[in-house]
Amino acid sequence: MAALFGYDDDREAASAAKVRALEALLIKKGVLGSDSIDAVLSHFETVAGPFNGARIVARAWLDSEYKRRLLQDTPKAIAELNFPGMDGAEGEHMKAVANSESVHNLVICTLCSCYPWPVLGLPPYWYKDPVFRARGVREPRAVLREFGVQISADKEVKVWDSSAQIRWFVIPERPAHSEHLTEAQLAALVTPEAMMGVALVPAPTAA
Amino acid sequence: MKLQHYLGGLEGLGPVNLEKRVFVAEWEKRIFGIHTVMMAESTHLDKALPKYPIAHVPTTFKETWTWASLRTGAEGMQPFEYFKYRYYEKWLMGISQFFVDRGYVAAEELATLTEHYRANPDAPLPAQPNLALKEQVVRYLNHGDSGLRAPITPVRFAVGDTVYVADPEAADHTRLPGFLRNKKGTVTEVYPGAYEYFVSTGPDGLVGPQHVYCVSFEASDIWGADKSEPHTVIYADLFDVYLKPAH
Repeated sequence: MAALFGYDDDREAASAAKVRALEALLIKKGVLGSDSIDAVLSHFETVAGPFNGARIVARAWLDSEYKRRLLQDTPKAIAELNFPGMDGAEGEHMKAVANSESVHNLVICTLCSCYPWPVLGLPPYWYKDPVFRARGVREPRAVLREFGVQISADKEVKVWDSSAQIRWFVIPERPAHSEHLTEAQLAALVTPEAMMGVALVPAPTAA
Repeated sequence: MKLQHYLGGLEGLGPVNLEKRVFVAEWEKRIFGIHTVMMAESTHLDKALPKYPIAHVPTTFKETWTWASLRTGAEGMQPFEYFKYRYYEKWLMGISQFFVDRGYVAAEELATLTEHYRANPDAPLPAQPNLALKEQVVRYLNHGDSGLRAPITPVRFAVGDTVYVADPEAADHTRLPGFLRNKKGTVTEVYPGAYEYFVSTGPDGLVGPQHVYCVSFEASDIWGADKSEPHTVIYADLFDVYLKPAH
């Protein structure tokens, strides 16, 4: 599939010009304001993004009681942290699932690209890729190996296909040798990929 | 069957794409933004949760535009075309055609202005801010568009029930992953309340508020014991109409 992403400059320049023309016409015709799209993009830089999910995961690692509440009633536990916009678009109904010694979770959307915006922001390309969406439900372990994640045969793999209202995310396993880290240091280790289940959180490197 | 409804399980595709970026070209941000503003000013939002005062938002956009609109477009593409284009390329094609079809933009003026920006990539956009619309966009992003409704039908299944997945007619749009059709699963959760999808999917069955169940499927029950990985369970959230009792 890599070749599919190797577009020539012409294809990109054509799309860039077309979207700019469309935006210009929609502004002129009163469908958009010239500040509308920047308001959207700014939301995903400051309010909704993986920085929220990472802090939620770090809190769950440090506080097992919080983790229990997060798994039991995800929106309510997230609300405890007072982040803005947490029941916003594409996060109206979210659920967390936890990796453990015996279970590995993988989140997928085989029909489109449903993704928990408030806690993770916008989906990366791998998540939207038809190949991931096709293979993730049939051979999750093989797909995970391509992401560099080895799941032993005796571990259960749970694949969550988002097809109705719930937007799923994963609480990865806390890495070894992280006992001395603060909540912020722990959060810095957590990637969007780990919170969708295609990556593990590696042990921190010695300072 | 429509290929876009049956992506799950398709074989022979080669390695997955490991690209971690959300946008791989700057222009993709703009079409994502256009789509999201359209959702934020969609006329249906006066009925959505929360009930937005959408009639008072100063915009000439008088359409219902939701995820269902975008998905229906993608699922309506000729399948081989679908795979030729990158994610946001499909959005750009679908959304620009929508504005042409609905008469907001003439195909000729879009083509002419595209040529202009092609020759002058840095030519500015019109400066015409719209504060009230911007506020609605921010409201929408922060409060969403929930389909949660009061249930109007009884709950048909309980946790632990064995169910079979229905096999409705292939419609323009569905929320039933094709690989689950006719498969046997177990209800693992009955979600409180009922959910109304953005649009009716007609013969596919999403009409009005419905209960939603989380259903688990053994991978071996879907792909066959000798064709699936061990210890693998697939969970899917399925609307009531997509399920049948085991007997």
